Amino acid sequence: MRIVVGMKWVPGTTSVRIDPKTGTLIREGVPSIVNPHDMPAVELALQLKDTYGGEVIALTMSPPPAIRGLEYLIGMGVDRAILVSDRVYAGADTLATSYVLAKAIEKIDKEIGKVDLAIFGQETIDSSTAHIGAQTASWLDWPYIYYAHSVKLIDNNKVLVERVLENAIEDWEVELPAIISTHMKALKPRPVRLINKIRYKVEKPLITWTNNDMKLDPRCTGLKGSPTIVAKTVDVPEVPRKKVVYKPKDGEDAAKWLIKTLMEDEKASKALIKALKEGGAK
Amino acid sequence: MSSEAKKDCNVCPEWDCQNVNDFKNVWVVGEVDENGLSEPSLQMLTPANKIATKLNTKIVGLLVGYNVKKYAKEFIEYGADEVIVLDDERLSMYSPHTYARTIAELAKKYKPAVIFISATMKGRELGPYVANTLRAGITADCTDFDVDEKTKDVLLIRPPFGAVLLAYIKTPTRRPQIGTARPNVFKLPPRDPNRNGEIIEEKVDYIQKPKARLVSRKLLPINEVPIEKAELIVSGGKGLGNIEGFKLIEELASKMNAAVAGSRKAVDMGWIPHEKQVGQTGKSVKPILYLAIGISGAAQHMFGIREAEVVVAINNDPNAPIFSQADYGIVADYKQVVPALIKEIESLKKQLQGA
Repeated sequence: MRIVVGMKWVPGTTSVRIDPKTGTLIREGVPSIVNPHDMPAVELALQLKDTYGGEVIALTMSPPPAIRGLEYLIGMGVDRAILVSDRVYAGADTLATSYVLAKAIEKIDKEIGKVDLAIFGQETIDSSTAHIGAQTASWLDWPYIYYAHSVKLIDNNKVLVERVLENAIEDWEVELPAIISTHMKALKPRPVRLINKIRYKVEKPLITWTNNDMKLDPRCTGLKGSPTIVAKTVDVPEVPRKKVVYKPKDGEDAAKWLIKTLMEDEKASKALIKALKEGGAK
Repeated sequence: MSSEAKKDCNVCPEWDCQNVNDFKNVWVVGEVDENGLSEPSLQMLTPANKIATKLNTKIVGLLVGYNVKKYAKEFIEYGADEVIVLDDERLSMYSPHTYARTIAELAKKYKPAVIFISATMKGRELGPYVANTLRAGITADCTDFDVDEKTKDVLLIRPPFGAVLLAYIKTPTRRPQIGTARPNVFKLPPRDPNRNGEIIEEKVDYIQKPKARLVSRKLLPINEVPIEKAELIVSGGKGLGNIEGFKLIEELASKMNAAVAGSRKAVDMGWIPHEKQVGQTGKSVKPILYLAIGISGAAQHMFGIREAEVVVAINNDPNAPIFSQADYGIVADYKQVVPALIKEIESLKKQLQGA
């Protein structure tokens, strides 16, 4: 099986700070990491390769610093990695991003070898849209299954995918090639191994494709290829709260104060009384 | 569209040329499962009503599937002005790929200005597939919608970047404008059995054969109220230190007849499943009373309790940001407070039940 796995290089914390003078986001000094939800996707790809043989190719569309993320995945055992990077891809929304990824998968299919499966993570921690898997599938006209927990090859061109939804566990038979997104808790990722890091140093299995290689119409990529625009951003308005803070003598004092305070609060007391009476009726 | 217009249309050749003025109506995609028309999809009629009123246009419910026509009247009673039904045996099995293509075909024919899809797990796989098939913009997990008074573009409002900011997103040159919102972000509108509306039955010649086939489906028992609907919530975070700490607040919740929830840290530690995570990457809750124990008050968490009526915080760090965003704060070690609180609740319960 030849499996492409998607990766996004994201700010390592979602607690982005705001510059109080300018009101803009401070991104400097926030170290980047591989999107944690991509890790189960990488692990699934590597397990499928362990079981059925073949090759795992990591793919990202990003400015060049994402190479560090790709190196990490190679350390885990990914065979090679492709960075797709060009100024004309900047400012892309999910539609324009998925377009470039889909075209890169087509290029891998044509120039490296037939792609059977592409796997993405559940969502990213920095924007959490969960769009990319579905949109890439749509460009390629491949079937798409979300929230996968496990994947088994059932014959040469079909996989059995188990997924867990809010209220059901489902098994799907999916024709290949296909796109699958993994559930964030599906699998525990394996650690980086020294042998893979050495192999990386020796073989350098990492290539970069710019738009000279991809030859995409710039009207389909970056800002121009993005139907959505951010019209404005505003601070999340503050919720008015009472902000009463009590420093109790001990636990008992705290508990008594809280019950008294809640019973004097019109809304809280109503809800509490209702719940405690109901609790007795059960 | 005339060939003249096509020639002038300087967009990605993968896109069709559009005149945004050709698009009208607000669509709501109905999700049907074993239990009928799903409540989260009906909840999307609430923002649909706001936007349709501002755009002076109609709300159209969309039912795609097999044996789904019977839900059209219910859709109307909850607020759809008309319903487009595509009831076809070839759609008896849901497949994201096939359904998305079919919905996109109908959207190409009817040209809705807006499509709302509930971000259930199915909605989250279907929505972006539909949007992309139409080469349209989509904005996920919106918390509100509005209309730009000048341009009449829909504003799709969501919190990016750790919930410190709200982004107003629009798609000025493409239609339809597609937005999703998570279940229970919007309330179910009232049902009016006297409401009437047109039911349009659609037929399509071609339905793509599914490339993915559901071979088994086991329903999971659901016997708990989802936290989004709970009136009382006891919620724990990193400050609890360990699973024993979390067990203690579960005991408190059980005595109070409250739901248990947690912060992202509590989920990361494995103390509580992701369905019970409160915050920007979890659920938005609207209880009357929210009791936050060992939760510091990161912006992402606080975003999920904006609509809680009364917020109580127990934390031993007097500088925890939650104290400036709570109604009642107690600076103390939860290990001292919670057992005492359990006793107080028990005695209050006896009083109330004796009364």
